[in-house]
Amino acid sequence: MSSLKELQDLIQEKYGAEMAALDPHDSMREKGFDSLALVEFVFAIEDHFSISIPDGDPDVDTLAQLAAVVDRIKAAQPSPAS
Amino acid sequence: MNPASVVVTGLGVVAPHGDVPGALFDALMRGQSAVQAVLPDLPKPTAAALAPFDASRWFTKLQLAGVDRVSQLAVAAADMAMLDAGAKGDVEPERLGVFAGCGMGGAAALELAYRNTNGRAPPLTIPAFMPNAQASQIAMRHGAQGPVLTYSVACASASVAIAEAAKAVQRGEVDVAIAGGSEALIVPGVVLAWQAMQTLASFQLGEEASSVRPFATDRSGFALGEGAAFIVIESAERAARRGAKVHARLAGWGLSSDATHLTKPDAPGQARALRSALRTAGLQPRDIGYCNAHGTATRIGDVVERNALAEVWGGDLDRLRVSSTKALHGHLLGAGGALEAVITVLALQRRALPPNAHCASIDPACSLNLVPQAGASAPQLEAAISNSFAFGGTNSVLLFTRA
Repeated sequence: MSSLKELQDLIQEKYGAEMAALDPHDSMREKGFDSLALVEFVFAIEDHFSISIPDGDPDVDTLAQLAAVVDRIKAAQPSPAS
Repeated sequence: MNPASVVVTGLGVVAPHGDVPGALFDALMRGQSAVQAVLPDLPKPTAAALAPFDASRWFTKLQLAGVDRVSQLAVAAADMAMLDAGAKGDVEPERLGVFAGCGMGGAAALELAYRNTNGRAPPLTIPAFMPNAQASQIAMRHGAQGPVLTYSVACASASVAIAEAAKAVQRGEVDVAIAGGSEALIVPGVVLAWQAMQTLASFQLGEEASSVRPFATDRSGFALGEGAAFIVIESAERAARRGAKVHARLAGWGLSSDATHLTKPDAPGQARALRSALRTAGLQPRDIGYCNAHGTATRIGDVVERNALAEVWGGDLDRLRVSSTKALHGHLLGAGGALEAVITVLALQRRALPPNAHCASIDPACSLNLVPQAGASAPQLEAAISNSFAFGGTNSVLLFTRA
């Protein structure tokens, strides 16, 4: 399942409803996420999903792309031991 | 050619008594204390003065990434000072400078990094914590491309910043300077460190508001305060040319170092700064009607400051009215000199002196002409000084005269 909805919820929690309405295919940088805000958001995502996102993927500029990265990392993780 | 006369055209505060300079001064005149119980989870009861602040007036949540509270308060106070001066957009970027005082830096960011339980610090801890962040944030807000400098001189930081800004204006290095300071370190780790230093006032529970008693027999130290204050200064000629209202003239400043002890104050060192401020202004001790004292209410500090004033004022000491407003707003450390400069400017404007609060019985070793609890009018007031004496031995005195 895509992480997009959870990312949007995280944006709502951190930055409010206005930013949560961001189109998943819009450039996040153009919508006000400068490099500092983005690095802080990625940190929050890592905390939320308990994952580690590799540094500096320059191709990631939209929420949809970010969700795809999160999905890929989650899928590659072994399932938690039961 | 005479050096340029330096005037104050803008005042901005985010202080324990709010963000409206006039209302802040009214509260001080009423003897209203902003010191209150804080951080109830600490082992020892703690009193401090917090600055009410709504960050959303100045920042979107996205803009707050990596911006510590100390910088938030600074940006707001500086913005209000520029608005008050009517100087926004009215100065060439390269001719606008920022001179900011800060004792510590982003204490909340550092505290969060230490306390984070999952073992990793937030990625923007460093840019949030670095002491020069507030000056840079102000510079970005106003497009200041001239000198953007930070002075970390403990309790004298903001006062030194204002003195250095005045020199830059006087030398013509900048047309307009935003000068002052910000401090926001009421977080558990830093408060514990201050408690260990044993300079904070002791108090009975419920009596936090009156716990700071400068120059009083029963004084026991200060309470920490947080906040920011900035002033806008420029040459008198420039202010007149653009029709700006002038709050006061920054007529003199004096800097000195004790060079004796890291934390023990030194009367001869303080006296050197006082004399230097008078000399810069071309005034005599008897010309000064009011002193906003450093007055931290420590056992040693208040006596030393009294002795320094006595050394310079001599037989005129009784003509000098003195109060330490730290009794009411706490000790803002790196921002203290700026808040107290603003209070001194307002005292001159209104010809009214805020009280030396909570002093029921003056310590004979601190015999000064203290402003009584009710405050005082000062119809003849023409000149006033603001003292800031720092750990590390640096002393700074600012001298203002009526516009």
